[in-house]
Amino acid sequence: MIKSKKRIAGFSALALGIILSTTGLSAVTQASAAPVKIKVWAWYPNMKEVVEIFNATHSDVQVEWTNAGAGGDEYTKLKTCIKAKKGCPDVAMIEFQTLPTFAILDPFVDMGKYGATNKDGRYAAWAWAQSTSGTKVNAIPVDGGPMAMLYRKDLFTKNNIKVPTTWAEYKDAAAAIKKVNPDQFIATYGNDSGWATGLMWQNGCTPYKYNMTKSKANVGIKINQAKCKSVINYWGDMVTNKLVDDKSFWATDTGKGYDTGKYWTWVAAGWTPGYLAGQLKDTIGDWAVAPTPQWKAGGDVHGNWGGSSFTVMKQTKQPALATKVAMELYPTQNKITKGSAWDIGLNSAFLYPLVTKVESNPEFAGYTYKIFGDAKVNPIYINASNKLGAFEWTPFQDFVYATMTDETTLAISGKTQWSAVLDTVQAKVVAYAKKQGFKVTE
Amino acid sequence: MSVLTRSPKKSGYLAPRSTTANLAMILAIGYFIVPIIWVVVNSTKDNLQLFSTFSLWFGTEWHLMDNLRGLMTQDGGLYLTWFRNTIVYSLASAVGATLISSMAGYSLARFHFKGRSVLEAGILAMVMVPATALVMPTYLMLSKINLVNTPWSVILPSMLSPFGVFLIRVFVQESIPDEILQAARIDRAGEFRIYWQIVLPMLRPALVTVFLFSLVSSWNNYFLPLVMLSENKYYPLTVGLTSWFAQASQEGGNSILFNLVIAGSLIAVVPLIISFIFLQKYWQGGINAGSVK
Amino acid sequence: MKLRQSLTGWLFMIPFLIVVFAFLIAPLGYALYLSTQADTLVGGQEFVGFENYIFSLTDPIFLEGVKRVFIFGLIQIPIMLFLSTVGALVIDVINTRLSRTFRLIAFMPYAVPGVVAALMWGFLYSESFGPFVGIAESLGAKDFNFFSLKVFIYSISNIVTWAWTGYNMIIIYSALQGLSREVYEAAIVDGATQVQIAIRVKLPAIKNAILLTTIFAIIGTMQIFTEPRILARYTNAVSNGYTPNIYSFNLAFAQSQFNYAAAVSFTLALVVFVVTSIVLAATRRKGRVE
Repeated sequence: MIKSKKRIAGFSALALGIILSTTGLSAVTQASAAPVKIKVWAWYPNMKEVVEIFNATHSDVQVEWTNAGAGGDEYTKLKTCIKAKKGCPDVAMIEFQTLPTFAILDPFVDMGKYGATNKDGRYAAWAWAQSTSGTKVNAIPVDGGPMAMLYRKDLFTKNNIKVPTTWAEYKDAAAAIKKVNPDQFIATYGNDSGWATGLMWQNGCTPYKYNMTKSKANVGIKINQAKCKSVINYWGDMVTNKLVDDKSFWATDTGKGYDTGKYWTWVAAGWTPGYLAGQLKDTIGDWAVAPTPQWKAGGDVHGNWGGSSFTVMKQTKQPALATKVAMELYPTQNKITKGSAWDIGLNSAFLYPLVTKVESNPEFAGYTYKIFGDAKVNPIYINASNKLGAFEWTPFQDFVYATMTDETTLAISGKTQWSAVLDTVQAKVVAYAKKQGFKVTE
Repeated sequence: MSVLTRSPKKSGYLAPRSTTANLAMILAIGYFIVPIIWVVVNSTKDNLQLFSTFSLWFGTEWHLMDNLRGLMTQDGGLYLTWFRNTIVYSLASAVGATLISSMAGYSLARFHFKGRSVLEAGILAMVMVPATALVMPTYLMLSKINLVNTPWSVILPSMLSPFGVFLIRVFVQESIPDEILQAARIDRAGEFRIYWQIVLPMLRPALVTVFLFSLVSSWNNYFLPLVMLSENKYYPLTVGLTSWFAQASQEGGNSILFNLVIAGSLIAVVPLIISFIFLQKYWQGGINAGSVK
Repeated sequence: MKLRQSLTGWLFMIPFLIVVFAFLIAPLGYALYLSTQADTLVGGQEFVGFENYIFSLTDPIFLEGVKRVFIFGLIQIPIMLFLSTVGALVIDVINTRLSRTFRLIAFMPYAVPGVVAALMWGFLYSESFGPFVGIAESLGAKDFNFFSLKVFIYSISNIVTWAWTGYNMIIIYSALQGLSREVYEAAIVDGATQVQIAIRVKLPAIKNAILLTTIFAIIGTMQIFTEPRILARYTNAVSNGYTPNIYSFNLAFAQSQFNYAAAVSFTLALVVFVVTSIVLAATRRKGRVE
């Protein structure tokens, strides 16, 4: 029965092949000519200029860049082309938390064979650890997402509300803001699993253990541990008491809300100001950055949200040149010269550099930004980034995040209890992992 | 004469002018036209005015030409590529579906062969198979023979039109008498020649109807190309516009892309609206035949 | 002669049969085959029989999605078809410039791709681009939001209703236009009003057209994908398995669970087939009046 189904599929495929060959049309083959063209998928806001710089300074290789969507949209396309064994770019941007999810499908070129190395401490240590499996180099780190609190300095000052330094103060400030204007909020609970994970990371919760080179089939999952739960319960309490809004971070209306005073703060990643800057018209210069509120007064612990790397896909015909592109789009620079890739990355896209020579460069710490009223905010991010510890991800992070988002949505709508969210996520993720053949340590 | 514009034939029995009915129709017209008006009005605004002026009336400045120019030049004229792809995919699908359906429909209506009744029942059953359930397995199958991410992966599956076969069969039964075919056979005309030179010309109205239905459904298709295509140079308008919309949302409210998405939506709708205003009479044939049984 | 007839008949069927085979039977067969396998991230592929189907029947995400499209259909389809039928009955008896304009404008959304319709309505619903939130709030609705978890499903219903009411109205209208005038004459002689004629004479006579639109509406509703997927950007309401089609898409292309996705696709096809068959059977039995 099954065999015959297989044969049917094979036969119809054959029939199709005949139809196509007899119509005399076949896919257009591209003539290859020097310089070599390398296809890159990336969604950095400043990619256009960065690619122009790269192409102007390289004669052997030219980058053909496409924005194939941010995050999930691009991953869908990547998984489609990996499955189809066709249509992938040479170089693809992938966030750190998603690297193991792809790595287990084995689509990456080992860039170590083409000169990618961290011997000289070129990249931030935590990022390099997440970019490699064993000796295999899967990705080149580009930017990180150390978290800090963006806030409307003018509103806090005008209404004489203390800028919160702890999460307890944050809740007090939220209540105070509701008294100022019932239609305004300290923030929105955007229900973004990456964001929530960053905040759990800050609280010392490391829910996943996975090391593909040691054991492909063993994974540790403990998402419902106390250190994670207390974070979710804190926000659940805020949502239930209407101290925060529950709109998605990424809706256009939410973006406008940051400009109209509807939202006063956003505890967010190092790259978030790049997004925020695009939303603002009237409140440019009214924003400021403070460290993420702490669970213990006087503490100095931080989380990370996102951040990305460049990978080279096995479908490439030019692994060496593709690796070169991955390493040199955002190159190691001793000096951040005006108009260089990193200068644009730092200025207009607000990237947090994981190239250590750029990160530790005094020029980086001295950058000023218009939306922050020309304040020097980078020292706050540098401190947060340097305090980050090791963090591991599951090889099915898409599923974990989707489950977390869905369960949280149910809690927001009042259908389930906030306190049960992570227990349900734990149960579902473990069941999924077992079904996928993993041995799970809880 | 068309079902869309001609007068009802029983004009002797018109109801007295009913204020309720007139009011309801005016309200309904407003409902159906609001989104269209919104697109037309807002395609004349730049990004600043998009957010700052009343959304159902024109802004203070006129930016339609700027938006159209932006549409044509953004990302190296990608929109034009999408537009061309949409035309190619939907024309190819529609021509293919029409020819294939016409042969099958003609065969079912005028030939008596073993298994015909099974086929007829089968075609009715096929109409009820949800097209999207086929997309995922088709994708996996086509990926095995290296056809995904090519125009073929969008065009070939769209040639399947059981409803088209059904329409043609009804039309042949009603309007092509067997005697004409018998006469041609007595003249020793070949079967294919009969089909090509006698049947097809007589089928013209039905062919145009099937053609238009297939054209619209491929023009508007989103799920199939979304799954099949991964490179944006192959996208049709539907997938392309959504990718720009995603990008615009990601880059925030000041992104230049919002006005391009709106202008692009307008341009994507224009060809079909024009086509059905000019080809109205053909819609009727299909709609009538479809509602017979 | 008979043999020749038979042969030619089959010959004309061949192109269609090839397409049916390649793009309907083979994909369904392949989906069926895939759905009996499990391709795990670690273990590789193995035969599991009906395990995926059994799992789907106890998978709360899938069941929730199926339930959602059922409820959606139970609310949206009757409203839409009621409006289409009333509209058709009205333009059948009123012939003014207004009614002709109405006929044309109502049909216009058919020419608008679902993607564009979703984009347009998304803009109209949004607080920063559209007028409706402002209007709703000035009428006293506090903090109104088309994308909230509770309201979103109605926002989608409205888009579908907008897109298809006119199309269905034209189908029903052309069936009305096909009725012969003798049908009414007795009723008119009896002094029946237009409303009485519509309900007692016309409606029973066009039941086939209404049935056809019902079947197509059910098939369309069960497959709903485009609108929620595009508007997901505005809202948290669109979960991983918001509709069965969104679920199947996410399973396959976000989570690499192609086998389970195939089972979900296949189950969906089966559900559509069964539901439409039931509707057909139920109406056919009742409808043997002639």
